[in-house]
Parts: sequence; structure tokens; C-alpha cells
Amino acid sequence: MSLELINQRLMQSVQVGIAIINPQNPTGPIGPLDPLGPVLVFANDSFKLWFKIEDEHSLGTFLDNGQIAEIVAEPPEVIPKNIEVNAKPKRRELFLSIDISHFDINGEPFLFIEVQNQTRKKELEAMINSYAKMMERNERELKREKERAEKLLLNIMPKSVLAELKEFGVTAPTKYEDASVVMLDFVSFTEMDIAADPAAVITELNDIFTNFDRIVEQFGCERIKTIGDAYMAVSGVPEADPDHARNIAKVALLMIHYLERRNNTHKTQWLARIGIASGQLIGSIVGIHKYVYDIFGPAVNLATRMEHSAQTMNIAVCSPMKEQIEGEFEVTFKSNEEIKGFGNTDIYTLDSIIGGSIN
Amino acid sequence: MTQSVFQQLGGFKAVSGIVMEFYERVLDSDIVGDFFDGIDMPQMIDHQTKFVASLLGGPASYTNEQLRKAHQHLSINAEQFNEICKILDGTLADQGIGPDERKFVEEEFEKRRSFIVSH
Repeated sequence: MSLELINQRLMQSVQVGIAIINPQNPTGPIGPLDPLGPVLVFANDSFKLWFKIEDEHSLGTFLDNGQIAEIVAEPPEVIPKNIEVNAKPKRRELFLSIDISHFDINGEPFLFIEVQNQTRKKELEAMINSYAKMMERNERELKREKERAEKLLLNIMPKSVLAELKEFGVTAPTKYEDASVVMLDFVSFTEMDIAADPAAVITELNDIFTNFDRIVEQFGCERIKTIGDAYMAVSGVPEADPDHARNIAKVALLMIHYLERRNNTHKTQWLARIGIASGQLIGSIVGIHKYVYDIFGPAVNLATRMEHSAQTMNIAVCSPMKEQIEGEFEVTFKSNEEIKGFGNTDIYTLDSIIGGSIN
Repeated sequence: MTQSVFQQLGGFKAVSGIVMEFYERVLDSDIVGDFFDGIDMPQMIDHQTKFVASLLGGPASYTNEQLRKAHQHLSINAEQFNEICKILDGTLADQGIGPDERKFVEEEFEKRRSFIVSH
């Protein structure tokens, strides 16, 4: 095989389009572009395929005569020139980058055309773009999902406990030296007419507890749990708060105030007893798969005892909480009772806040 | 969480090869190529990327209702649906995807037949 043949085969088989164009019809006069147009001197297979060239006398869908004339007329310093065009030999659109340079043979100008197929590159760019958008959307959805899960978790544990759980995978029970607890229970709940209709009970309790939640939140306290018709909230957990006793006293007063107002406009009368107490307690997550954040200890027990001892629509309180809130709140001595685990205890009723409104 | 076929195949890297090849073969097919003729390239690639990713259990997924809406005006017949299935399977095989994964993709594809074929 001669070298010439090898060259020819090579030119035909490369994935680059190659063509040589004589911009002027060699039979025409020298000078301005001949009206008969340029002549294709050589084109390899890729070039012919891309530009639909069927015979040697046509440039197919390649630049038209006018465009070639413009290129030839440009000053030599702007050649080689690069043009990007789209071609569509079949159904597939191609993105081609055309490099044009010129050379003279015996004073006759020729254009050397080299065409690179940039389609893959463009397609890949488009694909990355599409994929990136897909991932971004997914990320947004994941983020939303995560926020939803977090919100649910925040319903069952305080924020700082959740942060600890997320960071370390476990949480340690924490001892709080000074915190206050409010316990509320409804009087004769099982004997109320509404008790026969569980759906109605849930609707009403949901309404009442939602309002309690608002009150609790207003004073930076945490609702710990509801058990049936009982409601428990705490102040000073998980962050210590020097105002914990006052916060809980205010919450208790507002709960009573809310129920009184509600009872004025609703058929079902919800009558509560409230116990409040201060002291030591332990906060901890209980359970591994079914998390519950709960509190235990003297302050919790005492609040429960106070609640049992409270009269209907009253708030019962004893030492040491009574001393912590005295001066700011009106308290009245109620009775001296034997309290299980705490001995003989003076019990007081929390009546109101001294001078001014709770808020 | 079990890995999707999409993750097993190597995510985007695998999918990009499949999409490119699939795109080319679909356009070359005389049975289905005309559906994609005249659609602009980025849109077409976008379509194919999401299509392949979702078949493999990757990020994009279409609901059956979305699929039905997108295809009903094209009045696609069973032969055309089968052709796409064949091209896809051939593409996956040539890209080195194993028979188990291909069977999974084929089954996923088949599940959606009634939402695509309307003619």
C-alpha cells in the first residue's frame, strides 16, 4: 500500500471532518468571487455525512456561497477562523466546531476546513445539568423530610436533648437541682357526660391541651407529657432558669383563667385541679426505639401530691416553692396534711399575681 | 436501607454511559426514532437521564399519572413500546449491566406499559 493510499484512508476514517474548498471557481476570472460559487476540492466521509454532501459540486448544508465569500473577504489576520454550527444529518442534532484556515497553491487561494464533532461534549453538559437539577430537587426534598422528622422529635423531647442525641447517639439522664413542675388533672373526668363519647373527648382535650401548650411556651417552659386527661409541664429543664418557680406559677394561673373563660362559653365544663412544686428532678430519655423524654424525682412527686390535694379549680403549692414565689403572688394557707414521702406539710392555695397582669 | 440498582451500578457514572448510548440507539431506530426527532437536545437528554435514573430506582421518579399524561397524545402502540424495551435491554447489556439488574429494569418498564401504550 502506497503512502498516498494510507494518507487517503486515514483522512477518510478519522472522526474529524476534513475538506478543502477552492472559494473561486478555477474556470472563472481571477478577482471577485465567481457567481458559479466555490468548489469542493476534497471532503472526507465524516464531512460528507455531516453536511449531506452527495456530489463533488455541492457544499450540501455547509456554509453557503455568501458566507464563504464573507470569510474570503475578511483580512488574513482573522483567519484561521472558528465557527460553531448545528447540523442534522439524521434525527440527531450535531454540534460542530469548524476551523477554517487558508493557504495558497500557485497563487490560488484554498480554504482548509477542519470540523470537530462537539456533540458528545454538549450532550454531557446537558446531562450533568439535568442530573444536577435532579439532585438539587432531591436534596430539597430530603431537607424537608429531615425538618419534618426533627419537628416530630421536638414534640417528644426538648431541643437541647435532641441535639445531644443527634451528636452522640445517646443522652445521659441529667439531674436538675432546681426546677418547677405543674401537674393538672380534670375532676370527675370519668363521670362527665362527654366521657361516653371518646371522639368528642379527644376533640375537646386536644383544644384545651393545645391552648395549654401555648401558655407553657409563652413562659419558656416545656410540656413533658399528657396522660389521658392529665397534663404535666416543667420549667428549668433542660436549661436552668432562675425564674422557674415564677414561670410555673404564672402558667398555672393562666391555665385556670383559660378554663374559666372556656367554661363560660362551652357546654362541657372542664374542672381542673393543679399542683405545683419546686425541687430536684432528673430528666431523661426513656426507651430506645420509642423515645419518651420524661422527668422523675422529688419535684415531680410533690407536684403530683399537691395536685391530688388541690380543690376544684384551685392551685395547690407548698414549701419550698411557696417561699420562692411569695411576695410576687398571693397565696392563702389551706391546710396541714400528711404528704406521702414528704411528711407533715403546710399546703397553700395560689390565688393570683400581686399587682398587674400575668403577661 | 438496601441500595437501589442505581446505586449498585455506580450512580451517575453508570447512568451517563447508558443514557448516551440509549439516546443514540433510540434516534437510529426507524420504529421509534421519529418520536424524538425535532426535540431539542438538552430537553431530550434531560428526559433520558430522568427516565434511566428512575427505571434504575434512582432519584427522579414519575408517577403513573404523569407518565400517562406525558404519553397519551403520542398514541404509542405495543410494537413501539416493545422496541424501546428491546433497545434499552440491548444498551444495558452492552454497557456491562448484569442479567439480574436487566431483569429488574425490564420488569419496572413492563409495569408501566398500560400508562404508555394507548393505541
